[in-house]
Amino acid sequence: MAFGTTSRRGKEIPRGTGWFASFVLIALILVTGSSQAQEVRCGCEFNESGTESDLLTGEALNGEIWAFGTEGVAGKSLDGGLTWEFDNFGSLDWSSSDSGYGSIAIASSNGTVAILENIGEGGDDIGQDIPSIPNGVGINAIALTSASSIVTVGDNGEIWQYLQGSWVNRSIGVEEDLFSISFLDSENGLISGEGGIILATTDGGISWDYRDSPAETSESRIVGIDYFSTVRAYAITDEGHILKSSREGTVPVGFVWNIVEIEREYPPGGGDEFEPGGNTLDFEVTSVELLSQFKMILTGPNGYLALSKDGGNIVSQQMVPVSNVTVFNAVVMQDAFRGVVIGDSGLVIRTENAGEEEFVGFEVTDFNDFGQFVDYSKERLMDGLVATVKIVLFGIAMGFTIGVILSMLKTSPTSLKNVAQMNRFQILSMVVIPFWVVSQLIIGTIMRLKNPIDRPMSVLREKSAHIAASRPVNVFAIRLVGLALLVLGYLQITGTFEEVRSLNLDGWEHIYVPVGAPRAFASILLGIGLLILGVIFASCNGDFSIKEFDVGSTGKKLSLNPWGLRPLNALATVYTDFFRNTPLIVQFMFIHFGLELGRRVQEPGLDLFDFEYLKDNANFLTNIIVTYETDLSSPAYGHPIGGVLEDRAYISAIFALGLNSGAYQCETIRGAIAAIPSGQMEAGRSIGLNYMQTMKLVIMPQAVRICIPPLGNEMVNLVLNSSLAMVIGYAEITRQGKLIIATTFQIFWTWGMVMISYFVITWTLALILRYLEDKTRIPGLGISGGA
Amino acid sequence: MSDSILSVESMEKTYVGGVHAVRGVSFEVHEGESLAIIGSSGSGKSTVLRCINRLIEPTKGIVRLKGEQINTPAANINDVRSRIGMVFQSFELFAHLRVMDNVTLGLRHVRRMGKEEATEVARQVLERVDMLDRVDAYPGNLSGGQKQRVAIARALAMKPEVMLFDEPTSALDPELIGSVLETIRGLAEEGMTMVVVTHEIGFARDVADRVLYMDEGLVAEEGPSSIIDNPKTSRMKEFLSSINE
Ligand SMILES: Nc1ncnc2c1ncn2[C@@H]1O[C@H](COP(=O)(O)OP(=O)(O)OP(=O)(O)O)[C@@H](O)[C@H]1O
Ligand SMILES: [Mg+2]
Repeated sequence: MAFGTTSRRGKEIPRGTGWFASFVLIALILVTGSSQAQEVRCGCEFNESGTESDLLTGEALNGEIWAFGTEGVAGKSLDGGLTWEFDNFGSLDWSSSDSGYGSIAIASSNGTVAILENIGEGGDDIGQDIPSIPNGVGINAIALTSASSIVTVGDNGEIWQYLQGSWVNRSIGVEEDLFSISFLDSENGLISGEGGIILATTDGGISWDYRDSPAETSESRIVGIDYFSTVRAYAITDEGHILKSSREGTVPVGFVWNIVEIEREYPPGGGDEFEPGGNTLDFEVTSVELLSQFKMILTGPNGYLALSKDGGNIVSQQMVPVSNVTVFNAVVMQDAFRGVVIGDSGLVIRTENAGEEEFVGFEVTDFNDFGQFVDYSKERLMDGLVATVKIVLFGIAMGFTIGVILSMLKTSPTSLKNVAQMNRFQILSMVVIPFWVVSQLIIGTIMRLKNPIDRPMSVLREKSAHIAASRPVNVFAIRLVGLALLVLGYLQITGTFEEVRSLNLDGWEHIYVPVGAPRAFASILLGIGLLILGVIFASCNGDFSIKEFDVGSTGKKLSLNPWGLRPLNALATVYTDFFRNTPLIVQFMFIHFGLELGRRVQEPGLDLFDFEYLKDNANFLTNIIVTYETDLSSPAYGHPIGGVLEDRAYISAIFALGLNSGAYQCETIRGAIAAIPSGQMEAGRSIGLNYMQTMKLVIMPQAVRICIPPLGNEMVNLVLNSSLAMVIGYAEITRQGKLIIATTFQIFWTWGMVMISYFVITWTLALILRYLEDKTRIPGLGISGGA
Repeated sequence: MSDSILSVESMEKTYVGGVHAVRGVSFEVHEGESLAIIGSSGSGKSTVLRCINRLIEPTKGIVRLKGEQINTPAANINDVRSRIGMVFQSFELFAHLRVMDNVTLGLRHVRRMGKEEATEVARQVLERVDMLDRVDAYPGNLSGGQKQRVAIARALAMKPEVMLFDEPTSALDPELIGSVLETIRGLAEEGMTMVVVTHEIGFARDVADRVLYMDEGLVAEEGPSSIIDNPKTSRMKEFLSSINE
């Protein structure tokens, strides 16, 4: 008995390989499902500013950019943020600042204030010696109202003004902490604080009045406020509300505040938007900087840096080459386009276009440095690699399945003669067969019980055999069917005339009918098919042999074998001809944009596997289909974040690759089947196996081995062809390469690395195939398996 | 006389190209009898054999197995074939299966036997052809004679009512022929009903109960194996002398 078990192992393609492949597939999907949600980058290398201290605040004035931070660190850049000189002003943490009138005022939270005068003229020393605010009052924010006068706000409603050498208390009895202060000019200013507090002054900070903030934010902490112009001011809360105040008629800015409806919010990279609607951003925000009437940059902890160009209606988070634990503290803009964003650990990143570039607005990295270039591009390339592998794996699986089915159809010997000779019991059993197959799969394979449909099947087989034996072919019935087919075909064709005519085509333009009236075209094709079948059937006289006609007096013979037509073969041929005679890139675009296959699969798919259901029932199989974000705190909660159904372009890409590759694989497999000596089929049949059994047990196991090398080529082709998925916006390697170039302009490096990535995939594939080939080699058989 | 197991009545076969390979052949094979078919190349011997188990369909004529006609659509072709063992000139072992699996394939998928039962049957027939020591080998690693013996075992395992041999030794080197012929002789002695197409005249004379000489698609001469020693027709004389050279 021992040999019985061992001998079964080696003879078919090892089971383990299949498991291995599916394991890899699943692992990939699971891994990538989570990696798409967030951009994680390493921030430690961008410390070009030359300091390790946290930079807390900064100012841009007269062509200079200044940054201040912990332990008295202060630095300036004369070239827009590229190079920095750092120094120390004392040892306090400079946490707030303001600039104007040729001066920069900085303050630390314990109440110390300094003024740097004559900025841009070389005079950047601390000017006047300003005493601390009395009673140890702290400072949360500071504003300059002239070259030497200052207003500060602090906790517990403290408002102090420094005027002509001394501090004056301007508090108005507010108890709440005040966080932010902003002056439009020397007269008009705004203050924001906790409990929805907004205060305004029109006399340079001497007296302050309450303003109403919207009801929704009456309990919120308004952490930032920016008085941008006489017609516009913005404020933000730490919950992510954006408040807007406009001048309305004669009512000046600051009186009426509205919450901006956030229509759309985009993640980094300009991908699909997060949940639309709502009036808070999905992230914690600590500062807002207005670049123009409508354009603002928002920053916050957790690497949050976002740009809105329409006053907060559409907010797109910028992809920045730093990690998502980076803390951004301030935006320092020289003008509406150029400036820097500063943050913890000496972080300085700069932009020259207000972050308006589609994907990466802020740039610090020196992409001429290969190390930094690789640091930046490797993540994108890895994402692209994973994306490519995903469509390739599914594409291969789909292509192989289609290839096997098509090649079986193409080699199937069923001819019209067999069809015509069918009797009603055979037709009935064709209806039953699908049920039989299904129940066989379930009961036979899984539970190993006897299939209950076995009985009806064998009864049907007996009856049909009996009829076939006892009665000759019913020629009359066949002719009747033929006539019916003729009528049907005729109706199909004539029924489309109206539609085709309505296309208003002339002459050769009719070749575009398949596009103009796809349904009509399908009807015409069907009609032609039916007519041909009808003619053949209607002309049946019970003799199915080949007809030969003499052609004139040439002595040549024209032989007709209509009954030898093989309908299944014809069907498969139409399919392969179509896919092999149109360019793959057009197929991609046709399938994705034309047929919108991605959408058509995704929508019902998501209905079927909806979040409500999968919330509690997700398992690893459904995760392959679709994975939902289940973390309540995530902004994407309840949205697909992984799995096949997540992305339409992904679905379309799989279909385009799979359908196309199937057509080619079909030919390869068919060739392999043809390479099996016919004697193998005869031997199989001679011991009583039926056609399908012989195919499955004898021919295919050998054919598959033979076609491993050519199929390998086919699969390598599929990998390379997957690069075309970029035309439908699928972010595979090549598209990522284009995006990297758009940012870095490093053409040689990028395409070189893209090539290496492809090589890695195809090489791995080749190794796997080589291994498979080796494993499945039939001992002693020299010719097959390419061994 | 014992029952007729296999009978062929005026069988004709015209190939698609128009070759009239068999022009009306009739014969009967009785229980336990061995019939040798001899004849020159192209005389239609293989065609007759293939028509019997319907690997190709005879154009005309009737083939009966145990009295029941098998060349009608009514006959279950797979069942019929499983009752007729066939051994090919070129062995046609399933190259991807080990010896044991070659033999059990039909038992398991046609006879629907369980694995153990099939293995048991297979061991019996493999022992009979003296191949029990190579059950784990792949066909590619066997000698020609061993392959043919495995092929015989594969056919035998199905417990056929009649065995058809189509030149079982023509693809073998002379020194390997012996073991295969020995095996077939053993089967004949055990009473297996068989039809053997062969060019081994000596073997036909020793083993066959009857000999049938075919020429150009027709039975030219038929009789007990002794007719080999004194053929009546000149064609058969010519044929035998050409072979004996
Ligand atoms: N598939 C086929 N199509 C057309 N003609 C065929 C086919 N098979 C055999 N023939 C022809 O039929 C005739 C008989 O062939 P068959 O193979 O039966 O001869 P044979 O007696 O077995 O010869 P051999 O001793 O060489 O095996 C030959 O002329 C051959 O060319
Ligand atoms: Mg022959």
